[in-house]
Amino acid sequence: MLRRHFMLSVAGSAVGMLVLPKVAFAEAGTIDWYTNSDTNILDFWTNTVAPKFEVANPGLKLNIVDAGDGMDAITQRALAALETKTDPKADFIEQGDPLSPKGAMEAGLYANLKDSLSNWSKVNPLGIETDFAVPYRGSQVLLAFDGTKVTPEDAPKTFEDLVKWIKANPGQFIYNRPDKGGSGGNFVRRVIHEVNGRDPSKFTVENFTPEYAEKMLAPAWELLKDLAPSLFEGGAYTGGNTPSIQLLSQSAVTMIPAWSDMALQNIANGVLPETTGITQLTDLAFCGGFARSVVFANGANRDAAIKLADFVLTEEIQSAIISELGGFPGVAWDYVSADLRQKYQAVVPSSIPTFPGGDWGSAINDGWYRNVAPNVDRNA
Amino acid sequence: MTKVRVPSGAGESRGPLGLLLVAVPVFLLGWMTVWPILSGLVTTLFPKDAAGFSLELYDRFFSDDYSLDNLRLTLWTCGVTSLILLAVSVPLALYLRFARGPLASYVQTLAMFPMFVPSIILAFAFIRVLGPNGTVDTILNALGLAKIRSPYLTVWGPVIGLVWDNIPLTVLILTSGLGAVPNPAIEAARDVGARPLTLFVHIILPRMWSSIFVVISLTILGLFTAFTLPYVLGPASPEMMGPFMQRTFSDLRNPEMALTQATIVMGFCILFGLFYVRSVARNRRD
Repeated sequence: MLRRHFMLSVAGSAVGMLVLPKVAFAEAGTIDWYTNSDTNILDFWTNTVAPKFEVANPGLKLNIVDAGDGMDAITQRALAALETKTDPKADFIEQGDPLSPKGAMEAGLYANLKDSLSNWSKVNPLGIETDFAVPYRGSQVLLAFDGTKVTPEDAPKTFEDLVKWIKANPGQFIYNRPDKGGSGGNFVRRVIHEVNGRDPSKFTVENFTPEYAEKMLAPAWELLKDLAPSLFEGGAYTGGNTPSIQLLSQSAVTMIPAWSDMALQNIANGVLPETTGITQLTDLAFCGGFARSVVFANGANRDAAIKLADFVLTEEIQSAIISELGGFPGVAWDYVSADLRQKYQAVVPSSIPTFPGGDWGSAINDGWYRNVAPNVDRNA
Repeated sequence: MTKVRVPSGAGESRGPLGLLLVAVPVFLLGWMTVWPILSGLVTTLFPKDAAGFSLELYDRFFSDDYSLDNLRLTLWTCGVTSLILLAVSVPLALYLRFARGPLASYVQTLAMFPMFVPSIILAFAFIRVLGPNGTVDTILNALGLAKIRSPYLTVWGPVIGLVWDNIPLTVLILTSGLGAVPNPAIEAARDVGARPLTLFVHIILPRMWSSIFVVISLTILGLFTAFTLPYVLGPASPEMMGPFMQRTFSDLRNPEMALTQATIVMGFCILFGLFYVRSVARNRRD
């Protein structure tokens, strides 16, 4: 992007953030759209989705607002508006959770999208949690590797293969500290799944107790300690998703776990070479997740917002999510263009396991720092 | 910086106005420094779980090898960084004090340059240059030499980064300290045939000590709380206290323990702070 354009867009969004909330009166035909996602998502909507939607639906417009940390307030306001039967001045939430605030879904705050979207049948069933939120983009951790050193055929397909590969190629694999980025974090979680019978259902938010965690996590630390000497520099761990990608781009390592959207975006903009390969484990995939959009049932532009939710599932936008955003489509892969499907065949998820957060996250991070990280003998 | 003299005669006008002028900084110091220290001490000495006064949190810190390793690494990094920093900055300051001409001003600009580089930019530049297969490796390879073992992700990563980051302040303070060395004294020593080393040890160094102490205490105060460079360039474990405190607070969601770590760090900082105050006070008496 030209620097001038960049500056303009930065200045534009800065001004927009100041001005928009003040002029955000619900206007007929103007969908009040909110997000708390990163800038790349905001740019994608501003530059790709909104113009296409406005051309396809004359008379409808998007009022794009970056809610930042204030998303909860928007939702709370909509809930309050539902009770007082007033206008919430919000129609569409780019990434929302119909289960929050508690009871809002039952009270009828969110529009039932399953019944209203003509494209609902295309949605990837892996991403559906409720009928009130439409998964429209996703991302998942996968393996990114240097295609000049490893052919896609030789790339590990199962976790066991991966361990074998790491040990056969000492110094060529690195993952980041689990608390510093999801790529390393989900690599560690995949190890935890591996030593517990590859059964993600054994971990829920409710079943956490320190004793249970100790029992479930201890074997994972053993496996990771066993891997450490075969890692980059005999057991070094980068400080985040980006430093891992940097090491891969400098050919210092051959394989890393990476977020699918970061890997694809970095390949697209040349940080990683064209020859970079990506693959997903087939026995149990790395963890990942979907972003789900919700529509307020009491919004003044409810029907237009539903039209927008439907529009986002069209092949045009879903293909753009892959090619421009580097994300996974929210629809099943049969509904994106054939050449994209072909190109990203290796990363099409057959499953997207998840891992609960909360206490589990703290237990994993602290356990890793205390058990795995110090076991590094730098002079070995 | 180290020599602040109140012009004679200024004392007569002191009074309510002077007190008013210092009231704001004193209030800020009390509110934003003294109060948090006291509240930190109270919170950690009277933990929630205990009925009253208890050293339990400190006991937990000092009986935990993992925490102690982190503290040890922090002290080691402070020591090594200060030594290297002095080794680099003293010659630089001497050069800037005595050299004349356009080259010296270029050197001075260059020495001040790190001040304007944010540490996150420095960290990523470091990875590009000194990291594995970085610029240095490429050059060595082109010359047919062996690869270096990259300091990236080892304890030397933060040391190199922190030295670079601290050069401007150190050089500034040392150069201003060297301003106290009178030219006639040096010329007189030269006239009686003193060699450069003798000149340095007997004439220059005695007048530099206080600024060296000031530099060391200021640098160490900064190093204790360093975050970005140890986090991006350092090893996962042991980690320096900066990243460790942050992780304990936000990641392990254990604010009590994080506060304990901070209070312990504060203890060390107060030691070096006293050192600094003494050096400055002694300097004023001179």
